[in-house]
Amino acid sequence: MDKPDRLAQVEQDVLAAMKRPGTAYLAALGCSATLFLTLLGLWAYQIHTGMGVAGITHPVGWGVYITNFVFWVGIAHSGTLISAVLYLFRARFRTSFNRPAEAMTVFALLVAGLFPLIHLGRSWKFYYLFPYPTQRMLWVNFRSPLIWDVFAVSTYLTVSVVFFYVGLIPDFAIVRRFKEGLGKRIYGVLSLGWTGTRRQWKNYNQLYLFLAAFATPLVASVHSVVSWDFAMSIIPGWHTTIFAPYFVAGAIFSGTAMVITLVVPMRKILVLDRYITDDHFESIAKILLFTSLIVTYAYFVEFGLAFYSGNPFEMEQFRYRALGDYTVMFWIMIFCNSLAPLTLFVRSLRRNVKYLFVLSLLVNVGMWVERFVIIVTALARDFDPYAWGTYTPSFVEIGITLGSFGLFFTAYLVFLKTLPVLSITEIKEHL
Amino acid sequence: MERRMVFTEREEFLSALRDLAREGVSQDRLRVETPFYVHEVDEILPPKPAKVKNFALIGAAGGTVTGFAFTILTSLSWPLIVGGKPIISIPPFLIIAFALTILFGALSTFFGFLLLARLPSVHGFVPKEESGNAFVITVETGETK
Repeated sequence: MDKPDRLAQVEQDVLAAMKRPGTAYLAALGCSATLFLTLLGLWAYQIHTGMGVAGITHPVGWGVYITNFVFWVGIAHSGTLISAVLYLFRARFRTSFNRPAEAMTVFALLVAGLFPLIHLGRSWKFYYLFPYPTQRMLWVNFRSPLIWDVFAVSTYLTVSVVFFYVGLIPDFAIVRRFKEGLGKRIYGVLSLGWTGTRRQWKNYNQLYLFLAAFATPLVASVHSVVSWDFAMSIIPGWHTTIFAPYFVAGAIFSGTAMVITLVVPMRKILVLDRYITDDHFESIAKILLFTSLIVTYAYFVEFGLAFYSGNPFEMEQFRYRALGDYTVMFWIMIFCNSLAPLTLFVRSLRRNVKYLFVLSLLVNVGMWVERFVIIVTALARDFDPYAWGTYTPSFVEIGITLGSFGLFFTAYLVFLKTLPVLSITEIKEHL
Repeated sequence: MERRMVFTEREEFLSALRDLAREGVSQDRLRVETPFYVHEVDEILPPKPAKVKNFALIGAAGGTVTGFAFTILTSLSWPLIVGGKPIISIPPFLIIAFALTILFGALSTFFGFLLLARLPSVHGFVPKEESGNAFVITVETGETK
């Protein structure tokens, strides 16, 4: 095939995904939407009845809701890593993953942002978090990690949305060409009237580079700030200097797994094998393996810090974490995050897409469990035995957790049918 | 009057552009549309230095200043000691300033781009003529500006 035909072929292949949906798609959308509606129903029930319907109480005041918040913010990170950091490093395989990964970042952050509101109880008071003065002109306490979180996460969401949108602009112009009537107008407006002139391309290239440069530090900073929600306290098991890098590595690890979870079925259903090859999957499997090793190292360091601290509370916390009430969770975490990914040292497994998919599901589970273990075990057993207690999530919390996956997948499925799933312009450039 | 040349092959487009540049056609009279960014165009027609970076710098610097000014001035407006920490606690304020540096930097770069690329362009929403996958050179003939 000569070149002009290949360019047209790319457009056809990628835009084929936006055609009228089949039954499998509608079934998946129906399931996800139902889960999301469950979330809304249970949330309404919680607001109506009161926070007592959730399992969180003294001493474990942060439970599954905060676990979900940390988990989803973590998921978002890999999208930025793939789109921004790999762009700066000029890694070619990025083109196959960046669009779904950026979409994942935006959706994961939207889901994450929901959880502080759910956890708040009186969700309508959410604006208390914003930096504005009270009636007596006292401003928020900028020394509080929770305020840092508001700044970090809202900055992250805004920058991710801008980055996602900017990447889409030339592709919107392509979609516009294939649409008629109202659709043409909508995509035309979304494309901002892009025609591909030299002035547009020159400035666009600069913009993309700068946005990548601005987004890159966010990969490291946002989850560090989230980790400080914990590390700034004095709770044994939380108050440690390793938390920031530990959380960032975990975030990239879980996000990479989620990219695999999303892209494997997408490639199969939308027949994109030509653009997302096994080589690309091998590259991303290497990122997964590498971050798994960092996470495993962090587990060792955590125990090492506790062991050498000479602090009985710290030592008891880590004994409890591995062998106490939540021992099953702890060992699930070790199996999924540290042991199972070691199989990726075998090349044939790295290239086996089905195997990668199963492994990515394990890692998703493992990373969710990791956040649960960190949050719950530390609160369940702090200093005073009189204040010890255990926590089991209630059906409301479990339902809302499942519902958050429903919301995430609903958004992702809508994305598949409304926006180009791969960056057409970039694929063309690299042909 | 305009002369519109449409190419399907990138190489033909580039050689035509080279010829035009050699003939001494001024850049102001050439309009180029491409389906993706073509680096060689900048070699043939050396561009003016890009200005997007100025927006990035101003936005980012503005964000840092705003972050520190906001946290310090609001803390001073009601000096309340929390946890024995100084009223002006630089390390936590740095986190706010950092976040705002990135936020303002990214937004200012984006709006700077819109300004410089002259977007959104209403004519382009539904353009009369789409170049699609073709490489197009439009030469304005007639009087030079």
